[in-house]
Amino acid sequence: MDTLLLARLQFATTTSIHFLFVVVTLGLVTLLVYLQTAWVLTNKPVYERLTRFWGQLYVINYVLGIATGIVMEFQFGLNWSGLSRYVGNVFGAPLAIETLVAFFLESTFLGMWIFGWHRLRRGVHLALLWGVAITAYASAFWIMVANSWLQNPVGYEVRDGVAHLTDFSALLDNPTFRMAFGHVVTAALLVGGMLMAAVSAWHLIRRTPDFALHRKGLRIGLITSAVAICFVQGFGFAQFFAIGDVQPTKFGDDPAAAPLIAEWTARFGPGDYTPPTLANVGLGFMILIGFTLGMLWLLLPLLWRDWAIRLRFPLWLVLLALPLPFVAVILGWIAREVGRQPWAAYGLLPVDKAVSPVSPWLMLASLIGFSLLLGTLAVANWTLMARHAARGADDPALGRRPEQPPADPRPEPAFA
Amino acid sequence: MELAWYALLGLFFAAYLVLGGYDYGVGLLLARGADPERRRAALNAVGPFFLGNEVWLVAAVGILFGAFPLLEGELLAGFYPAVFGALTGVVLVTAGVQLRSRPVGPRARAGWDRMVVVGSVLAALGWGAVLAGLLQGVPLHADGHVAGVTHIFTPFVAATGLAVVALVAAHGATFLTLRLPAADAAPVGQLAGRLVPVALTTVGAAAVIGLLSADVRAAARQPLAAVLLLIALVTALLGARVALARRRPGLAFAATSAALALPVALVGATIWPYALVSTVDPGASLTVADAAASAPTLRLLGWLTLPLLPALLGFQAMCWWVFRGRTDGRAPVYW
Ligand code: HDD
Ligand code: HEM
Ligand code: HEM
Repeated sequence: MDTLLLARLQFATTTSIHFLFVVVTLGLVTLLVYLQTAWVLTNKPVYERLTRFWGQLYVINYVLGIATGIVMEFQFGLNWSGLSRYVGNVFGAPLAIETLVAFFLESTFLGMWIFGWHRLRRGVHLALLWGVAITAYASAFWIMVANSWLQNPVGYEVRDGVAHLTDFSALLDNPTFRMAFGHVVTAALLVGGMLMAAVSAWHLIRRTPDFALHRKGLRIGLITSAVAICFVQGFGFAQFFAIGDVQPTKFGDDPAAAPLIAEWTARFGPGDYTPPTLANVGLGFMILIGFTLGMLWLLLPLLWRDWAIRLRFPLWLVLLALPLPFVAVILGWIAREVGRQPWAAYGLLPVDKAVSPVSPWLMLASLIGFSLLLGTLAVANWTLMARHAARGADDPALGRRPEQPPADPRPEPAFA
Repeated sequence: MELAWYALLGLFFAAYLVLGGYDYGVGLLLARGADPERRRAALNAVGPFFLGNEVWLVAAVGILFGAFPLLEGELLAGFYPAVFGALTGVVLVTAGVQLRSRPVGPRARAGWDRMVVVGSVLAALGWGAVLAGLLQGVPLHADGHVAGVTHIFTPFVAATGLAVVALVAAHGATFLTLRLPAADAAPVGQLAGRLVPVALTTVGAAAVIGLLSADVRAAARQPLAAVLLLIALVTALLGARVALARRRPGLAFAATSAALALPVALVGATIWPYALVSTVDPGASLTVADAAASAPTLRLLGWLTLPLLPALLGFQAMCWWVFRGRTDGRAPVYW
């Protein structure tokens, strides 16, 4: 058994779970900002109810974002101690900034937002949500700076085998960063929009009484995702320029790859410097999904006079398409991360030097432990989300008046 | 500069133990009985603070990674089982507290509650074990790597882990005495009064076992600091006992908070100037200065984050201020 392989598997598993949740967080928080701002500005009850309904789903989803995120953060030290040893001076900085500047505030704001209904003034309460959203984007920004540095190390010099920071602005100006950040953020918006559209479509299919509310959800969700997919495609194709410039070995048959591999062989010794083909496969399928989702535009005209709802089959399409963006984000990350192999930091630190020198059995136990723990929690969390989504917007626990009894009287005080 | 960052790291981790400590204490006390109302009241007493508490851990690890990368790798990988346990605990508590009230059925809810109890124990045990492990040194070799993980399975580590569990329980009960409506606070106050002596006993036991351990004696570079801080810890606990008896929950809470922060100071000061003491090769011990990131990194972090520190603390303080006082049914019940 191979410690390195197990550590890679563990990173792949836990990060994928993390990302499935945070991508929803990032998308939904944007829509929530819109909903709550609209409520405060217009005072229309439909916006308040939408805010509470979607806020409830958002908060449930957030739980696993935190739980898995904490595991991610420790994993660098647990399994990849070589990363901190050799490149920690540079790679650690954006991560430290992220935790201090973004997460710290994000969670503090969110706690106050959840418990602040009916207690804080409406403007303050809204400002808290804006705070949550801004810090969420800031965290995505810094984590992508860190990841892009692994894709293309810049702004450092190596002394005594250890990388030292020389130019921080180079990290922010990294060609593997800018388009990737745009791609990730708009992908998140696409995911959030499609989730909103799909849940609303389900209610419209079931003809739940809350017609006006879910109609609004469908419209907001569809328009958001249609706009987002354009940007996803644009930023996606734009990434190929950066990859062509700095990562010639990534997606095969690039003439610049051979000389680079020759140089690496001279510096690091002979080895296999081409990534597994898995990277290409993921890329192809993601692009396919990207084009498929481009068809969302065909649905937009059907919003006119509610044809989308009256014809019903568009609702089914929206509902059935929901898994696609989730599959695409994982495939995209597999393309990006597997395509970086065998490097932890491209051309600078090979993975086998980055992995912690712990015994394979310990790594196996950790892999099984964390996968089971996070996997089970993820499934439980999605189940709860699905139930709450299905229950509808009657009376979510989030933002309920303190003394108000629950909507449906049951023997157990069913506050939730 | 390294010293300032080391102090900041200690501050964040200590703040996590104080704030997260009462989360775990309250979590542990869910085991007291299955009365759903009481559980709900206890968790909502933590309510608005819960999310803001555990971020201190996230931030502490961020500082550890950014400012002390070398230490981060060896510390976490070198204490793998303890960190794994603590992390599992943190995850269970985070998910359990926030999700327990989402299902409607009492059975499912009781299941999530059990998770919170188990998670609280694991988290307290795990962080206690990490602190004790630092104090007894690690098999750090000249190549800079900690060899194996069996070194943490010692009586001292076990005793310290238990002591932290007891500390956290007493701290949680004191927090509830301070925060629950006055009518419910009295019984919890009595419970806290009984838990503090238990904590004292376990701390005493850990101290004695530590004194008997050759590794701990060898690793203690500043024995005077160790003794003084230990005395301070005992004093804080005695103070908590007195304050609880006199029905001064605020003072008692300050005292138990000090009792959770002091172990961090104790460990940091006792092994100073080292961050990791080697038990196999004195020359291989890692000093704080050597563990720190190089100067440009520290400068950058300083410029970017220190101006923000007042904002970070300010928003936390805002949260404490807005939701100060006893729970009174004015804030929504959510957990
Ligand atoms: C909703 C999800 C989604 C959709 C529909 C697409 N992508 Fe994507 N893609 C991602 C979500 C994503 C991602 C998960 O967000 C990734 C992973 C890393 C990153 O930066 O974004 C990604 C990575 C990624 C990469 C790899 C970057 C690297 O290796 O450094 C490329 C080249 C593209 N995308 C290109 C595209 C193109 C041309 C698309 C469609 C026309 C497309 N993506 C649709
Ligand atoms: C959240 C979305 C992400 C996903 C789904 C993801 C996926 C993966 C996968 C599949 C691997 C294993 C590659 C292999 O073994 O072939 C991996 C490795 C790794 N990723 Fe990511 N990744 C994500 C984000 C990040 C970010 C943001 C960072 C850094 C800040 C990062 C750092 C690493 C590191 C250090 C490894 C291990 C070393 C290596 O195999 O190169 N990842 N990731
Ligand atoms: C692989 C490296 C990653 C690490 C180490 C990491 C770390 C973390 C941590 C520690 C948290 C919890 C913060 C809290 O307690 O509030 C978190 C949550 C979060 N992460 Fe990650 N993360 C990684 C990848 C990503 C990526 C690729 C993104 C997005 C582009 C992302 C976006 C977020 C967001 C928005 C949150 C907020 C909480 C939530 O959304 O539920 N993370 N992450």
